[in-house]
Amino acid sequence: MKKNLFYKIFFSYLVIIGISFFLLDLFMRDEIKAVLTSQIETELLSYAQLIDQTSPEKASEHLKQIAQTSKSRITLIDVKGRVFVDSEKEAALLENHFNRPEVQEARLRGTGKSVRYSDSLRIDMLYIAVAMKDGQHIKGYIRLARPLHDVQSIIEKVYQYMLLTIGVVAVISLLIALFFSYRLYEPIKTMEQFTEKLRQGEPVGTIILDTADETKTLADNINYLVDELKHKIRIANEEKSKLMTAFTSMNEGVLIMNEQGLIEFSSPVLSNMLAIQYDDVIGKTLIEAFRSIDLQKAFREFKEKRVNLSREIVFGSPEKVILRVSISGIHGHPDEEKTMIVFHDVTRLKKLEQIRMDFVANVTHEIKTPLTAIIGYLETIQGGAINNIEETKKFIDIILKQAERLNRLVEDLLTISNIEMKQTVLNFESVNLRPAVNNMISLIEVKAGLKKINVRNNVNDNFPPIEADRDRLTQIFVNILDNAVKFTPDGGEIDITAAESESYAVISIQDSGIGVPKDEMGRLGERFYRVDKSRSRDLGGTGLGLSIVKHLMIAHGGRMEIQSQLGKGTTVLLYFPWEDVNKKS
Amino acid sequence: MEERKHTSSHYEMELQEIKNNLIYLGALTENVIRLAMKSLTDRDTQMANKVIANDYEIDKMDKEIEEKCIKMLALRQPTAIDLRFITTAIKITGHLERIGDMAVNIAEKVVQLNEEPKLKPYIDLPHMSDMVEKMVAKALDSLIKRDLQIADEVRKIEQQVDDLNEQIFRELLTFMMEDSKSIHRALLIMHVSKNLERIADHAQGIADMVTYMITGENVRHLSTDAK
Repeated sequence: MKKNLFYKIFFSYLVIIGISFFLLDLFMRDEIKAVLTSQIETELLSYAQLIDQTSPEKASEHLKQIAQTSKSRITLIDVKGRVFVDSEKEAALLENHFNRPEVQEARLRGTGKSVRYSDSLRIDMLYIAVAMKDGQHIKGYIRLARPLHDVQSIIEKVYQYMLLTIGVVAVISLLIALFFSYRLYEPIKTMEQFTEKLRQGEPVGTIILDTADETKTLADNINYLVDELKHKIRIANEEKSKLMTAFTSMNEGVLIMNEQGLIEFSSPVLSNMLAIQYDDVIGKTLIEAFRSIDLQKAFREFKEKRVNLSREIVFGSPEKVILRVSISGIHGHPDEEKTMIVFHDVTRLKKLEQIRMDFVANVTHEIKTPLTAIIGYLETIQGGAINNIEETKKFIDIILKQAERLNRLVEDLLTISNIEMKQTVLNFESVNLRPAVNNMISLIEVKAGLKKINVRNNVNDNFPPIEADRDRLTQIFVNILDNAVKFTPDGGEIDITAAESESYAVISIQDSGIGVPKDEMGRLGERFYRVDKSRSRDLGGTGLGLSIVKHLMIAHGGRMEIQSQLGKGTTVLLYFPWEDVNKKS
Repeated sequence: MEERKHTSSHYEMELQEIKNNLIYLGALTENVIRLAMKSLTDRDTQMANKVIANDYEIDKMDKEIEEKCIKMLALRQPTAIDLRFITTAIKITGHLERIGDMAVNIAEKVVQLNEEPKLKPYIDLPHMSDMVEKMVAKALDSLIKRDLQIADEVRKIEQQVDDLNEQIFRELLTFMMEDSKSIHRALLIMHVSKNLERIADHAQGIADMVTYMITGENVRHLSTDAK
C-alpha cells in the first residue's frame, strides 16, 4: 500500500524529468553546436584576414606563431591548389588542395567553409578558406583548419550539468514523493486499520487525524458512520435482550422455524417444558426435534392454509404434557417466511379441570351409593317388611351401616376441607416414634391378621422424637397402613422404618403389594382418586385416605412421597421436619 | 455456479424430506404401540379397533418412503453416506412397517381378550412394553442424532426384553396348567408378549441399520455369527 503510493508518485516525477530531458536534447544539441561552430568560424576568419593583410613572406614567418594562438593548422595554397606553406607539415608532401570544398567555395565567394571528418585525426574538423586577392585576381588561398573538439567538450560539459541537474531533481522528487506518499498514506493507513477492526467486530473508538484535507473529511464521515452503526447495534442488542428476557420470563415456550422448516431458535422455557436439549433441536426439522404426529400435522396445515392456528397437543416424553400450540407466520422478506410456534403448558389446567370434574362425579357417586341403599331398604320396610321384625332388624342394620359410611365420607371430606382452609389446629408434642408405631400397628392388627400380612416395626428405640400432633399422626398412619393392607396380597409384608436426614425425619412404610402404574402415580393423593376403581370401593375405601394424609403432612410442615413398582410394592415416605426446622418456618 | 448450488440444495431437501417422512413413520409406529398396549391395560376395545383401522396410514407412509428412496437412487445417484442413508432408509421403513403390523396384531388380540374377564393384573407386560417403547424411541433417536451410543443402548435393552418374554411365557404356562379355562386368554396374552418381543427385534434392526449408516460397518447378525 505504502510502496504502491510512493512508487506511483516517484515514477511520475521520473517520467516528467525524462521527457523534459529528451525535449531539451532534441531542441538544444544542434543549436549549441551551430552557435559554437559559427563562433569558431568567425574567429578563424578574422585570423585568415589578418594573415591576408600581412605580406606573404611575413606571414609564412609568423605562420607557426599564429597557428599556435589560433589553435589551428594554417595552410597557404596557391591559385592552382598547390600548398606552399603549411604550419604543421612539409608543404611539398601535401597533395593538391584545389578540390577541397572550402577552397572551391572561397574561389567563388571569397570565403569558404566546410566541416569534415578527418581520417587522420579522427575528429570533426572545421575548414575555413579565404581567397588572397591581388585586385580582382586571386593569387592564392589561406586555409585554417581547427578540430572541433572544443565544441564537443562544451556540449559534453553542458550535458554533464544537465545530468547533474536531473540527478538533483530526481533526488528532490524522490524526497517529495516520499513526503507526499507518507502524508497521504498515514491517514489512509489509519482509516484502513480502523475499518478493518470494525469489520472484524473489535471495539473501536474514533479516528483522529491531524490533516486538514479530504482525508480528514473522509475520517469524519467514517467516524459518523461508526457512531451510527454502534448506535444501531446497541439498539439491536437491546431489542434482542428484551426479546430474550421476554422469551425466558414468560410461561410460554417459543420456537422459530426458518423458511426451510428448520428450527432456528428455541426458548429455554420450551426446553424445560419438554425436557429437550437446545443443541438437539437447532437446525432440525419439527418432526426430528419433537417426533410428534399432531404437531407435524398442525404445522403442515399451517403451511398449506397460511392461517394462524392453535391446537392442544399431548407430548409423551418423559411425562405426559399437554401443550396448547399456536402457530403463526413471521412476515419478513416476501418469499422467505419464518414461522413462530408458541407452546403454552396447559397440563395443570387440564389436570385441575379433570380433578374438578372427577370430584363432582365422585362425590355424587359416593353419596348416592349409600343413599340408594338406605332409601331402598327404607322403602322395603315401609312396603310391609316392617311387620317382619327379623327382616326389619336386618334391614335397619344395613341402613345403619350405610349411614355410617355416609357419615365417614362426610367426616373425611370435612377433615380435608378443614385442613385445606387451615382451620385445623395441630397440637404439636414430642412423639417417640417406636412406641407410637407399635400403637398404630395394633390398630390394624386384626385386618392384617386376616390376610396373614406381617407388619414389622423397624424403628430404632432411640430414634429422636418427632414433633407431631399425636391424633393426626395416628390418622396418617392408619390411612397408609389401611391402604397397604388392602393392596397387599395374602402373606405379604409391611415394613416401617425411620431414617434421619438433615432437616427431616423420614418414615417409610413399605409394602409388598401390587404397586401403582407409573402413569397413575401423579394422581395419587387426589380426592376420590382410585387406581383400580372397582376393586378399591369393594374394599370399603372412601377414596380420600391418601388425600387426607397428603394434606395432614403439609399441615405438619412436611410432605408425603410415594414410590412404587408395579407388582413389587409401594413405599410411602413421610417427611417430618425436626423441631427447630419447624419453628423456623 | 448458481445453478449447481440450487441443484445440490434441492438434493439436500429431498434427502431431508425422506428423513422427515421416516421419522414421521417412526412417530406413527411409536404411537400405535402405545395405543395398542393402553387398549390392553385399560381393556379399551374401541382404542384397539382404532389401532387396527389406522394401520393403512403406516402402510401408505411406508410405500411413499420406499418410492422416494428408489427415485432418489435412480435420479440422483447418491454416494457414500447419502447412499448408505438411502439404502438403510428403505430397510428401516420396512422394520417400522412391520412394527406397525405387530401393534395391529396386539390390538386384535386385545379385542378378543376384552370379550372375556381379566385373567390377572398385568404387571410384566406393561413393563415389557415400556422397554419396547423405549427401544423404538431410542432407535429413532439414534437415527435422528446419528448417534452410535444410543444405537448401542437399544441392543442392550433387547436382551432384557427377551428375558421378560421368557418369564411371561413360563408364568402363563403355570396359569394354563392350573386352569384349563384360562388357556385361551393365556395364549392371547402370550401372543401379545411374543409380538412385543418381535417389535424389540425390529427396533434392534433399526439400530443396526443406523450403525451401518454411520460407520459403514455391518453389525447385523453378529451375535448369530458368533453362535
